[in-house]
Amino acid sequence: MADRLTIDATDLRKRYGAVDALCGLALGVPAGSIYGFLGRNGAGKTTTLKVLLGMARPDAGEARVFGLDATKEAASVDIRRRTAFVSEEKDLYDYMTVDEMIHFTSSFYPRWRKDLAARYRRTFDLPGDRKGKALSRGTRTKLALLLALCRGAELLILDEPTSGLDPAVSEEVLQALVSYVDSAETTVFFSSHQIAEVDQIADHVTIVDRGRAIVQGALDDVRARYRSIQLVFDGDAPAVTFRAPGVVRAWREHRVLTVLSSAGADEIVDEARGLNPVSVTVTPLTLKDIFLETVMKEK
Amino acid sequence: MLWYKAWLETRSRFVIGLALLFVMACGVVFTYRTVQELIPLASSLGQSGGALGRLVSESAAIESTYRGYVWWQWFRQNLCQTWTLFALLLGTGGLTLQGTRGGALYTLSLPTSRTRLLAVRAGTGLAELAVLAFIPSIVITLLSPTIGQSYSVGDVLVHGLCLFVAGAAVFCLTVFFSTQFADAWSPALLALIVVVVQSAAEFVLPTLRPYTLFRTMSGESYLLDGALPWAGLLVSVTASAVLLLAADRNLRRRDF
Repeated sequence: MADRLTIDATDLRKRYGAVDALCGLALGVPAGSIYGFLGRNGAGKTTTLKVLLGMARPDAGEARVFGLDATKEAASVDIRRRTAFVSEEKDLYDYMTVDEMIHFTSSFYPRWRKDLAARYRRTFDLPGDRKGKALSRGTRTKLALLLALCRGAELLILDEPTSGLDPAVSEEVLQALVSYVDSAETTVFFSSHQIAEVDQIADHVTIVDRGRAIVQGALDDVRARYRSIQLVFDGDAPAVTFRAPGVVRAWREHRVLTVLSSAGADEIVDEARGLNPVSVTVTPLTLKDIFLETVMKEK
Repeated sequence: MLWYKAWLETRSRFVIGLALLFVMACGVVFTYRTVQELIPLASSLGQSGGALGRLVSESAAIESTYRGYVWWQWFRQNLCQTWTLFALLLGTGGLTLQGTRGGALYTLSLPTSRTRLLAVRAGTGLAELAVLAFIPSIVITLLSPTIGQSYSVGDVLVHGLCLFVAGAAVFCLTVFFSTQFADAWSPALLALIVVVVQSAAEFVLPTLRPYTLFRTMSGESYLLDGALPWAGLLVSVTASAVLLLAADRNLRRRDF
């Protein structure tokens, strides 16, 4: 199952006027994974989601969801039949009540889970007769999540699912998401700029910056690969270019040379021993460190 | 359920239009006697000559019968103009506007094509306009006996048909502009400008007279000669179809 890709995108490019939103983005989301799509604001996350759902057309490249071409209109309708989407703005219809929204949405999905809808409506304490325009941001998010989770979708695409929510509601939303995924064979692809959120629930991650994927893989692998290697010398640290693979960047500060590696530490440490450092310290990196270091390098 | 959504989005405009036209239809019936008393005065004014005099004479001659009065006051003026206004209002909105006001991404995430979304929206608007074209006019037929007159359902149907078929082009033009502009007022305003320019064209090129929108909408030739304005209706139907196809093309190529 893990070998099968639910989303498979290659060399996606999209330009809005003078701005390159996507610059050759490649993405492979394994079936059944919870895939975090991490990036700064404006990195190309929302554009990618829109391309996958047929809301925007790429200028070049290929995007396939369930093996279907997302740029073809008929295939896109099929993709959306099997996919649930929650947009960043949680834009629902202001003129419909909560119950009308549920009834309206359920009519498009033959596999609609009535039992689940009733349960979430109770759990989230959603007021059935209140119109969309009168809902708070948190309640809108909960309603949007209910409408997404009850479709019986094979793929959930969530754009910044907890943006603008207070920590308590954020946690409630994430817990609902995790417990749903535990009980259903669903792939979750969610964008976020909140590292803690990705760290908490994702098993795969892509860090995107300026429309390109700069880090990609299973979260445990990524954590295992990225290392910070600190070399301390007697005098000023030497200027050196490492031949070992995976050097993301290296910087000197007086007696200390720090190397950031994306391919483990062994080969770099072996090579560094030839420079006769006084001490060598290898530190694993958190996802936050990896994000900041790689995005800073891009910057 | 898309029909239900389209109905919720347009129902306030539709209900206001229907209520307004009901009141206006009642007004047409109950002001008949007053207008009749003014006809001799209008006839003498018309003899003073000039373009205005000719118009007043023409009006007085046509309004000398109840059938002519209803046509002049209702189908040629009140209904035609008010219905056109609501065709403009009902044509605005849709996905492009929702793209700025919210709701578009939710709609686009549903398993339905943009062509179908547009078709449902256009279908709902046209159905509402059909009601506005026929039902308030029936009020005239129903109320006419209260003032000792009668107005045939046949005339209501023919004039209503001319109004709806020809006027649908105004609605389709607004729908087309609505797929191009993301604000609420530009589509209606631009369509209004096109309608005014098109109607004024007959003064510059009199040969266009049989094809102009308001003459076709009012069914003038049916009142005067008993003939339907086929040429104008055909032009309007063609224009409506082309505009809807262009709107569909616009919507399908648009990024949200």
